Amino acid sequence: MDSQPEPKDSQPDQPKDSQPEPKDSQLEAVIYICGDCRKEVPVKPGDAVQCRECGHRILYKKRTGRIIQYEAR
Amino acid sequence: MSETASLNMQDIPQGQLPEHIELQRTRVFCKADAPVHTEDVEYSGAYAAVGFDNSLQVDDFRRDFRVEIKNLSMDDIEFDMIGIDASLANAFRRILIAEVPTMAIEKVLIVNNTSVMADEILSHRLGLLPIEADPRLFDFLSENDTPNERNTIVFKMEVHCKKRGPRLTVKSDQLKWLPNGSELLMESPNPSTKPRSFTSFSCSQASLPQISGMPIGMKHRDIIITQLGPGQSIELEAHAVKGTGKVHAKWSPVGTTWYRMLPEVKLLKEVRGNDAEKLVKKCPRKVFDLEDVGHAMKKAVVSRPRDCTLCRECISGAGEENIALRRVRDHFIFTVESTGALPAEVLFTEAVKILEEKCERVISELS
Repeated sequence: MDSQPEPKDSQPDQPKDSQPEPKDSQLEAVIYICGDCRKEVPVKPGDAVQCRECGHRILYKKRTGRIIQYEAR
Repeated sequence: MSETASLNMQDIPQGQLPEHIELQRTRVFCKADAPVHTEDVEYSGAYAAVGFDNSLQVDDFRRDFRVEIKNLSMDDIEFDMIGIDASLANAFRRILIAEVPTMAIEKVLIVNNTSVMADEILSHRLGLLPIEADPRLFDFLSENDTPNERNTIVFKMEVHCKKRGPRLTVKSDQLKWLPNGSELLMESPNPSTKPRSFTSFSCSQASLPQISGMPIGMKHRDIIITQLGPGQSIELEAHAVKGTGKVHAKWSPVGTTWYRMLPEVKLLKEVRGNDAEKLVKKCPRKVFDLEDVGHAMKKAVVSRPRDCTLCRECISGAGEENIALRRVRDHFIFTVESTGALPAEVLFTEAVKILEEKCERVISELS
């Protein structure tokens, strides 16, 4: 019985985001969440890993934007 | 002298059993230590020596079988089946639990879940919610089928707890029925093709003739699913399909269903005075009552044998010679508690239909 999350991809070897592909050659900032104040912190490649407001250095990644399918079992 | 001269009892008409044998044939004796005569006497020639035919006859069954409904409500029914064998009563019980189909949530598509409850726990809880939808109006969905309005019910839940507000309790009324099918789109392999929906509804379910007028939704609107802290939210779609309890207990249409054989309580000797009062007090179910017999004397009588739970309090100690506790082997008190998809009495008739189908299958295999 499969209780693992199944990302509903038709072609699993070519994962595509439900959001449109970014237009720049360098990826846009990915939004992380600060460990203290829970504010949303955009981080670009090369940026310091630090919250803009409170300076806390632990950032959590946001939940994926994909739709995940579960069996209700 | 014929061999069975000793069995020619003049006071018992031919074709009938002497009383004590008849009791053994039709009753389970519940003695203080263990029950006795628990097995059915199935062999048709068991009493051939005394000329009693013990065979099973359809005409006898047709003549003697009775159903008496004692209690009936929207979701529960208590009825008596008299003149039926234990194997059939048990078959109905098992079919009710495992093989009468219902609708229950099977696929949960989670768009967002920032609550503290893990996705799979939340999905599991959603699967157990009873759905008010007549399963007879829907088809089974197998692996090769596409989900459409005939085999899937789609629900949506979108809840968010405000950042500065109190904790939010998410109840089952937050699941909204989507009669037009899924609103979510599957990820398409190339961006140029139109993204497909998870379901292919050709028309709105509300417009279907059998469903219109009977709204589909959760049976109970106040079941707590989860709780959200400030700033947390859940966005998901839940697809319900038809299934049977055999596959997963969420599809069982009964909270439970059970039967018991009718208890029989007989006073073998008259119990009077002090003993009678003690007996009446002893029974936790108040099966006995006191009755006046004149001269300011009271005796004990059995007034509510149906309430007896065979706890054997009355025959513990010295009481065993006075009271006979028995069960009638072909009289079943059936209780069905429906979870709400179908009324209890409809559930039982569906179970009978399923047993009929099974018999048809056997007959067609044999012929």
